[in-house]
Amino acid sequence: MTAATRPILEVQDLVKNYGGVHAVDGVSFTVERGTITGLIGPNGAGKSTALNVIGGFLSPGGGHVIFDGEEVTGQPMHRLARRGLVRTFQLARVFGGLTTMENLLAAAPSQRGESVLGILAGKAYWGEQERRLVQEARELLATFGMAGKEDEYARNLSGGQKRAVETMRALMMKPKLLLLDEPMAGLSPSLSRQLEHLFLDLTAGGLSMLLVEHGLDTIDRICGKVVVMAQGKVLSEGRMSELRTRREVQDAYVIG
Amino acid sequence: MGAWEFYAIVLLVYLGTDLLAAWGLNLEFGVAGIANLAFIVTIAAGAYAYAIFTIGPPAASGSFQEYVGGFNLPFPVAIAAGAVAGAAAGIVIGITGLKRLRQDYQAMAMLVVSLMAATIVSADTPFLNGNAGLVILSTFAPFSDQDPEFQRWAYVGIVLLACIGGYFVLRRFTTGPIGRTLRAMRDDELAAQAIGKDIVGLRLMVQGVGGAFGGLSGALLVAFISGWSPSAWAYVETLALLTAVIVGGMGNDRGVSFGMLLIGIVILQGVQFLNDVPVLKSIEEQLNRTALTQDLGWIVLGTLTIVFIWLRPQGIFPERRPKYGGKPS
Amino acid sequence: MQLLIEAIGFGIAAGAVLALGAVGFSVQFGMSNILNITYGSLMTLAAYIGLFAIDRGVNPWAALALAGIAVGIASVALHRWLLAPLARRGTRPFAIVIVTVSAGIVLQYVIVAVAGPDAQSYGEQSGQTFHLLGMIMSASQVTIIVLATVLMLGLHLLLTRTTLGRAMRATSSNRILAQSCGIDTDLISDVAWLISGALCGAAGVALAITTVSFDFSIGPIFLIPMIAAAVLGGIGQPYGAMVGGLVVGIATELAAAFSNPAYSEVVAFGILIVMLLVRPRGLFGAAWATRRLMA
Repeated sequence: MTAATRPILEVQDLVKNYGGVHAVDGVSFTVERGTITGLIGPNGAGKSTALNVIGGFLSPGGGHVIFDGEEVTGQPMHRLARRGLVRTFQLARVFGGLTTMENLLAAAPSQRGESVLGILAGKAYWGEQERRLVQEARELLATFGMAGKEDEYARNLSGGQKRAVETMRALMMKPKLLLLDEPMAGLSPSLSRQLEHLFLDLTAGGLSMLLVEHGLDTIDRICGKVVVMAQGKVLSEGRMSELRTRREVQDAYVIG
Repeated sequence: MGAWEFYAIVLLVYLGTDLLAAWGLNLEFGVAGIANLAFIVTIAAGAYAYAIFTIGPPAASGSFQEYVGGFNLPFPVAIAAGAVAGAAAGIVIGITGLKRLRQDYQAMAMLVVSLMAATIVSADTPFLNGNAGLVILSTFAPFSDQDPEFQRWAYVGIVLLACIGGYFVLRRFTTGPIGRTLRAMRDDELAAQAIGKDIVGLRLMVQGVGGAFGGLSGALLVAFISGWSPSAWAYVETLALLTAVIVGGMGNDRGVSFGMLLIGIVILQGVQFLNDVPVLKSIEEQLNRTALTQDLGWIVLGTLTIVFIWLRPQGIFPERRPKYGGKPS
Repeated sequence: MQLLIEAIGFGIAAGAVLALGAVGFSVQFGMSNILNITYGSLMTLAAYIGLFAIDRGVNPWAALALAGIAVGIASVALHRWLLAPLARRGTRPFAIVIVTVSAGIVLQYVIVAVAGPDAQSYGEQSGQTFHLLGMIMSASQVTIIVLATVLMLGLHLLLTRTTLGRAMRATSSNRILAQSCGIDTDLISDVAWLISGALCGAAGVALAITTVSFDFSIGPIFLIPMIAAAVLGGIGQPYGAMVGGLVVGIATELAAAFSNPAYSEVVAFGILIVMLLVRPRGLFGAAWATRRLMA
């Protein structure tokens, strides 16, 4: 396997315990480059916990996470984010005191105005980059149908708009792998479809995604591979259409 | 020099040093969301550093004060030392706040740090002369070869220069990309980490810079009033600054400046004038209580804080973010 | 050796007062998730109410009960009309702490304005001393230890044997669940603040009894060791606060006996800082309390 064909994410025997409960109990799977992989399972299966550990929010109890060929197990969230492993939250967390535009700008990586040199040197040093970033942000806002909301304080946005900001912010980071925790929750069907098209376009451009989502139709439409978890373990893998027919998957959803 | 002229000079110096302190606290709390109840320690560090850098060794003045240092260095060096000491104190305080505790617990930890620092300095006499504090015996430092009137106005000029320079540096940290990043950290530390921000590095930087402002404030003040003791840095002093920040407008540099003018000058100094009001004066004499108006000042301050948090937590001049308009791309 | 025993004796007496205060503080946090810094000035208020009563010939222990009731009422008022509405509105915990600090300052300076800044005293204590296990303690020290023990026992019985107590425990650990069980959580909160406020008042008067003289700063000075005791035992956990009070009291007295007395205050500060940074849940902290501590 050359570097280019190696999966963007390899999870090996991941373990996470929560006060006696084995929330994640030896989970292994991969995400191939330029694909959308779904992570599904009944409530309490450990999907969100797995996502939290991979994303650096929780420290693993055991196992390995290999991102873009490098071992990143246990690294903190901000380091992973800088490497290109970006996560969104189930409950959209926007920066309430900043405007929509600023929420997006804040997420841009490698801002010249954030280094001590850049701070003291002032606008002359970072002004040009700012202009480019503002342009990028405007384009994203237009794509998500929020042009004109640049100056709205993020705390005043609706729930759906906040979700959109969360996703746009993740995209501003130019990620290699996006971990998305229920990105469609609370969105109208038409906006959901638009987002699905956007995700497919982005993966065509090289972005990879790992998606936890309850809407199985969405999963069916956009995911290549789907991983099924139940009770902390990987139950099954494959295309959604195959999985629907497998007995153990059906049982898991009934028994929960 | 007339009494009024002298009083005007005192007010201006107090206002200038108060502004520097308020800007530092606003940067830490209003912009970056760090609940630093130990801010007064950075001011004290600056004051003590100035003192031990500028006066001679203990033995030279007959050893009636015991302290470390005593380097007898010129004014600009001692002032710079004050700023550096403030920054160092700020960073040390910052380290105690790094544990991911809820904000009010962090605040309590920092409050305890400030009380510990006060206790240690008060007790340990050979360190900074304990509870008695330090007195700067040398003649009032800058321009000491000129006549006193010129000296004092010149000092107002020095404080003014420090404020202009300080404000210039402050704006660099509260506007632009870093201003945005710090406010993101304030609004949601977790989300800020998720977009790649190094929270630890940012917090330490902010507490260093904020501490430098505090230290500079303390150094400039002590050079003027020529003495500093632990009673000058009781934890209530941070409350006055915090009130100015909350009332003026959290995260808004100009708002906080107005707040400091209101709190520091109008209220805390203004109550001194009430001493001359006949009714209050006779009450004071009857009860044999000379500091009654000062107590009144603190009561007004505390009440203002509660009222504003209740009614208008964003302050008189709320923070306003830059607009990007609906210009077509 | 004699010094050690004496220090432990003083430590137990001091610890009894700290335990009283720490338990009240802890109950308030457990019930309402608020670090009530006004607690310090409320203890000062109790001390001065006690002084007012004693100067008019009231028996010190009756004065203590009086001050306890007064401060209990003041505490309920504070919570019900200032702190709870703020919390309901979503005010951040730090802002609420600032409100309690400010309220404490206002109360403190009102006391100073009314009663003056001079040191006060409850007057001559009876010279009677008791000899227990080699420790020499004054009558008031022994009475305070007995009183603290009785009050702690009473609280324990209340919490474990009565319906009210069970309701209080339920509301502390999970308010929403308690509501869905039909508990009137607002009423329970008021009762909890009344009881803990009474403990606060009792602690304030006990402090004034055990110190030779005091002034307006007595409450805030002893608040920090009480918070240290509460955090050490596990904030929100009254039994932990009792143990914490004894530990902090004894540790402080040992430090005073065997090293520079001026540093003895630092012991309490140190315990608090170390606990907050190393193990915020305390020694006996319940899991639900820990979740509230972390950002």
